Amino acid sequence: MPTAVTPVIVSDNPQIYEDAHVHAIYEEIAPHFSSTRYKPWPVIAQFLSSLPTGWIGLDSGTGNGKYLPLPLERPGSVWTIGLDRSRNLLGIARNAGGGEASREVVWGDVLGLPWRRGAFDYAISIATIHHLSTHARRKVAVQRIIESISPVHGRALIYVWAIEQDELSKRSIPSEQSDELNGQSKGQDVFVPWVLSQMSSKPKPSAKSSRTRSNGSGSTYQEEEAVSPSPEDNTTGTSEKPAVFNRYYHMFAQANELGLVIGSPHELRVESPDSKHIRNMTGIDIVQDGWERSNYYVEIRCWRK
Amino acid sequence: MVRLITHNLLACHAKGCTSNNFPLQFKDIQIELREAEFNPDFLRGFIPRIEWGALTDAARQLGDTSLPSEPPDMLDDDFLQKLHHVLLEIHVEEGAMVCPNCGHVYPISNGIPNMLLAEHEIG
Ligand SMILES: [Zn+2]
Repeated sequence: MPTAVTPVIVSDNPQIYEDAHVHAIYEEIAPHFSSTRYKPWPVIAQFLSSLPTGWIGLDSGTGNGKYLPLPLERPGSVWTIGLDRSRNLLGIARNAGGGEASREVVWGDVLGLPWRRGAFDYAISIATIHHLSTHARRKVAVQRIIESISPVHGRALIYVWAIEQDELSKRSIPSEQSDELNGQSKGQDVFVPWVLSQMSSKPKPSAKSSRTRSNGSGSTYQEEEAVSPSPEDNTTGTSEKPAVFNRYYHMFAQANELGLVIGSPHELRVESPDSKHIRNMTGIDIVQDGWERSNYYVEIRCWRK
Repeated sequence: MVRLITHNLLACHAKGCTSNNFPLQFKDIQIELREAEFNPDFLRGFIPRIEWGALTDAARQLGDTSLPSEPPDMLDDDFLQKLHHVLLEIHVEEGAMVCPNCGHVYPISNGIPNMLLAEHEIG
């Protein structure tokens, strides 16, 4: 059964809007995220496997922390610290990957910068920035990621939802999706429902519990599935009717739109050529960008010469 | 969690607080010691990234004085074990971290630091 994605118009103060349509919902649905089993998307797994031993990184919007144990073939060779706005998700993320190992997680906002500048060697931000409801805020989030990593060698990988969805995805996308603005597609603001079936007074066997979506791309998006609540979650009475949580997403129109939030190097770094030699120039290169499994991604690298 | 590996990265980000905002000072803390897997290769690569003075000060606040005031030239196993313990095995479970510049208090509860700011505190 396809789940309709509904176009929306962002109203209110964006912070208040995101509190209601993103943060409150993740707090509520956090127990239904499974973190013990997943298959990381190839580009993300590759990125984390390519990092030198001893590097430290930030996962901005870590959610259930599924990327914190990576790379699986060299566990413990790098440390990724998870940041998220949802305290309940962090409660899951701290034990991501199972076993004895515990993860480092920090409760914070992706628009903040609670770090020494440039303290990290790398950063990832997977399926997070699309929850910010204005272009300006999405851009600030990307700037914060760039400010978090080393201006000399920092690397970052950012994933956001694409309007172009995987053919195997069960999401149905509204048809009038590609708004053209000066020839540049500007994406689409939508609600994506997370259906949480309520426990009736006699719980049914959880035939549909916690399946990942059928395209096998991992467990990041489970919103199409009706998920059985855990026993302690039976707070909303005995209704048979499933609860639907409409989460806000900005579906990016193209990889280029993600490029636009990165901006030009001049906006990001003040070049400081010393007066005698043209040295100490810093910049940011886009190493790769593209589409993978219903998402756009971009990988960047900072440099100085 | 707040282990010292994370504490060594955290800085105050309250509005207008841009200097002397690191390292945050521990206050009224409870700690737990838990073993973690020893990975000497990670530690060797990670050492140049550490703000060493901040790490040794913080370790002292947590009652550990095993680290030298400068990282040694010879990274033998004995030293790496001590560093491993300080960075990864001391968990600050409860308490707070206070900004040395503006005094902003970041609470730690159930091992998770709260670095959120109220809207009027965001820079
Ligand atoms: Zn401060």
